[in-house]
Amino acid sequence: MAPTTTPLTFEAAIDRPQSAASTRGLTRTYGTGETRVHALVDVDLDVPAGTFTAVMGPSGSGKSTLMHCLAGLDTPTSGTVTVAGVEISGMKDNQLTVFRRDHIGFVFQAFNLLPMLTAKQNILLPLELAGRSPDADWLALVVDVLGIGDRLRHRPDEMSGGQQQRVALARGLVARPTLLFADEPTGNLDSHASAEVLGFLRRSVRELGQTVVMVTHDPDAAAYADHLVRIEDGRVASQGPVA
Amino acid sequence: MREVTLASVRVYARRYVAAVVAVTLAVAFIVTTNALTSATKAGLVADLGASFAGAEVVVTGAGSVGNAARLVDTADAAGGRAAVNALTWTSASVDGHVIADDAEIGTIASGAATGLRWQTLVDGAYPGPGEVAVDEQEATARGIAVGDTVTLGSGKDALELAVSGTVDSSTGPHGASAYVTWPDFAVVGSTGIVHDVVARGVSVDDLDAALPQRYGVQPVDDFLATAQKEMTRGVDVIAVMLLVFASIALFVSVLVIANTFTVLLAQRQRDFALLRCVGATRRQVLRAVRLEALLVGAGSATLGLLVGTLFGHGLVAAASALFPAVPVGAVELSPVWLGGGWLLGVLVTLSASLLPARRGSRVAPLAALRPDHAVVVRSRAGRGRIALAALALWVGSALLWLSITSHQLAPMLAGGFVSFVGILLLGPIVVPLAIRLVGVVLGRVAGTAGRLAVANAVRNPRRTAATTASLLVGVTLITGMVVGMATIRTNVDQEMDQQYPLDLTLTGSQVLDGGLADDVRAIAGVEAVQPVGGGTVELRGKGLDLGATTVLAPPSDVRGIVRGDHAFVHPGPDEVYLPWEAYNASGYSEGMTVAAVVDGEKTVLKARVADGIGDVAVVAPETLDGLVTSTAERALWIRVDDGADAEDVTGALAALARATDTEASGGFPDRAWVDLQLDVMLGAVVAMLAVGVVIAVVGVGSTLGLSVLERTREHALLRALGLTRRRLRFTLSAEAVLLAGVAGVLGAALGTVYAWIGVEAVVGEAIGQVSLVVPWAQVVLVAVAAAVAGLLAGVLPSRRAATVSPAAGLAAD
Ligand SMILES: Nc1ncnc2c1ncn2[C@@H]1O[C@H](COP(=O)(O)OP(=O)(O)OP(=O)(O)O)[C@@H](O)[C@H]1O
Ligand SMILES: [Mg+2]
Repeated sequence: MAPTTTPLTFEAAIDRPQSAASTRGLTRTYGTGETRVHALVDVDLDVPAGTFTAVMGPSGSGKSTLMHCLAGLDTPTSGTVTVAGVEISGMKDNQLTVFRRDHIGFVFQAFNLLPMLTAKQNILLPLELAGRSPDADWLALVVDVLGIGDRLRHRPDEMSGGQQQRVALARGLVARPTLLFADEPTGNLDSHASAEVLGFLRRSVRELGQTVVMVTHDPDAAAYADHLVRIEDGRVASQGPVA
Repeated sequence: MREVTLASVRVYARRYVAAVVAVTLAVAFIVTTNALTSATKAGLVADLGASFAGAEVVVTGAGSVGNAARLVDTADAAGGRAAVNALTWTSASVDGHVIADDAEIGTIASGAATGLRWQTLVDGAYPGPGEVAVDEQEATARGIAVGDTVTLGSGKDALELAVSGTVDSSTGPHGASAYVTWPDFAVVGSTGIVHDVVARGVSVDDLDAALPQRYGVQPVDDFLATAQKEMTRGVDVIAVMLLVFASIALFVSVLVIANTFTVLLAQRQRDFALLRCVGATRRQVLRAVRLEALLVGAGSATLGLLVGTLFGHGLVAAASALFPAVPVGAVELSPVWLGGGWLLGVLVTLSASLLPARRGSRVAPLAALRPDHAVVVRSRAGRGRIALAALALWVGSALLWLSITSHQLAPMLAGGFVSFVGILLLGPIVVPLAIRLVGVVLGRVAGTAGRLAVANAVRNPRRTAATTASLLVGVTLITGMVVGMATIRTNVDQEMDQQYPLDLTLTGSQVLDGGLADDVRAIAGVEAVQPVGGGTVELRGKGLDLGATTVLAPPSDVRGIVRGDHAFVHPGPDEVYLPWEAYNASGYSEGMTVAAVVDGEKTVLKARVADGIGDVAVVAPETLDGLVTSTAERALWIRVDDGADAEDVTGALAALARATDTEASGGFPDRAWVDLQLDVMLGAVVAMLAVGVVIAVVGVGSTLGLSVLERTREHALLRALGLTRRRLRFTLSAEAVLLAGVAGVLGAALGTVYAWIGVEAVVGEAIGQVSLVVPWAQVVLVAVAAAVAGLLAGVLPSRRAATVSPAAGLAAD
């Protein structure tokens, strides 16, 4: 544990008593022997509920790995990951899958939508998988906020990149996950479309009360967040509210 | 570019598995056919030669036994030695006991002509005049031993012969049950047939000069060559039939290979675009792909030769081990067949890859620079395709109609092929439609996973259609055969009902034992037994060969016993039904009368004819009451289960008959034999067609496997969003079952239609009014089997899909 991070963590814990997700001693190692790579080393991290957290750092620093571990897509080599008060490190694949569909939403950089489904089918997919029926008012609100009402019957290849990302965002929000993860959600978009998507992400936090974790390279994108985590060489360099 | 091709083959080798399997199986099929036919021919020919051991000259055209005798004299006069190969049928008895009515008696060379003897001695000694040699197997079967006395023939021509030994003479054109010397044969076999006369020690020319023109005189080698050709013509016919099935397998292979290449090359669009970016011309890319196809084809064809050779040898070895009586010789693979099969395999691969290669190499260099990594292949049926399909369907239907009205085979085959091509062309419309229809149900039953399976199955209509096409061919052909065969069988059955109304009968010359019916009922396979009353009556009439005859009066209801509708079941008041054999040479004529005499009292009855009632007469119960004072149980009419083993049932009944001094007969063995022939034929044809189905199923599995590769990110996304591993596997399996099941159902429907057309066109004229018989259970079984095959084909791809890690969906790749 880097000594500089301890007071910040402590401070954050006092400021915001409940965290949506946290890690303790999280370590993830790839490969063995000569080719061994320490993607994450002893990471202690708290993601406060109801915040828009940006994760930044140089390429190869372990941002994606951190997010995979937080989202239950990857199993840590050691350490614990707790989401919504439940320890998910050590869960079996089936448990994890069910946990994911109940608590976690995703927006990826690209290839977010299934090509053979319409926008609406894509949006409702997580609920369908969980066997839950959508809350019609909530769905209408999300669709309205994102401005994709007239695109619901279209397939992904009939939509622009920005529209596709907004559909992906709607999918992430509609199930009201405890945590919404976004890995470089604006990587493929121009500045206008980026601003649109980031604006919606921030609105979802402020107006809809969502917790969002976003991985990004882009300082402009990070500026939309209210919480910032810096990763360097697989370690947390700093974490705390944006000044 | 050569390195690129070689590297591609190495990297993508596993993805070619379907193409490799298809070509290998098809080529192996051809080689196996060659192995089987060569072994069969060798077996036939070896046997043929064995029957002419020692002969130098063969004389044909002798005709009668008398002529043959003169031929022998002529050959002797010309300085040679001659022997006659002849055959006759006569009764044989041992110790006054008749052991066979129609024993086959052949000739064996003796005396000065022993050099022409072809039988080999097993036990005892070769026979001289007054002696007989018995075939070893026959001797064992009938319990005849060396030293026994056998009487051949009856009356004044009867000969008493001592058994001098047993010989090995099992099969071949001159084979018989027992052999006598020529002088003895002239006595018992004066009416027999002469196969040929063989001679040695005399030249062909000398003998030819000494004989009238009408005899054919040939060196034995020439004679054997001609005879072999004639005998093996039948084998060649079978070889051609096998090749028809091999070409069906090849056709299916073409579909599978073309589809494999299409999918594979579509996935490698980025590779090709990159090649184009770095300066490869379109021609270079195309040539690289063709070279790749050539390598795959050559490799698989070689593998096919190996597999076929192994399989052919294995089959022949198994056949000679399992059926020692069947003459099989050594496998001799001909270079023409091997070379032809190999070339065919390579050509099939190349031609199947032609279109996909053109399409695949027609990629813009820019495609490599597009950020989108996912392979988005969307395809729809073009107008041209629909127009072509309509034309093919129209022409095909017209030809089929022509075949029905003209009862000709050629337009049927052409029409069947053309219309089927039309259906295959429509595949991209019809198959996805059918899958959607089924999908409605599946989505309801299996929820999201089911709906995903349907969406995946129809997202690329052309690929879907191409994947199902190969299976469709196999299932259609198999269903067509099954339905056609069932129809033929039903008609044959009806005909047999007329010929063999009674399965089995047990008839006594005296009153039957009371418990006999129960004993018969206890025989496994007996379905029902009907005791029939009767009496013994003397029947006389002009043109009749009868005397004291058992006259039966069946009860009014024998429906569960007698097969089909027969007049003899309800005889008129003064009618008597007699079997065909009861009428002598002048035969039966309408209005004939028969006098029934009991104790000197005469009753005149009208004669009728009945098929298959045995050696009895049948009258109405009232008629019988008028003839005899008391009737008693005289016969049992027996109905046998359709599936019963004919040999077991008749064997058991025969044993019962011997023990009770009654006579067993009936048409069931004949009926069972005909049924067996049809079953064997259907089984063989279906087995041959199954090769094509196996290839098609491998194709389905491979296409699914390739689809799984290109959907890795989708699957990762689904897993990230909460689809469990099991459900993902289910989705893939469901897709496989959907594809195969729809092919199965469509194929079953099409096969039934084609069978109807085939029956109308081919059998319609021969049998007259035939109605199609659809064996629903079997047709459904075929469709279900296709779906199950799809399930199996989906096992590996779905396992593979489920191993995708959910994090892979987020990797920037
Ligand atoms: N599957 C893997 N096998 C081996 N090493 C891996 C694997 N995934 C990631 N790594 C390594 O782990 C380290 C962290 O990777 P990660 O993808 O988390 O970086 P990142 O911060 O997301 O980088 P970028 O900004 O480029 O996306 C890198 O050194 C990477 O090479
Ligand atoms: Mg990353």
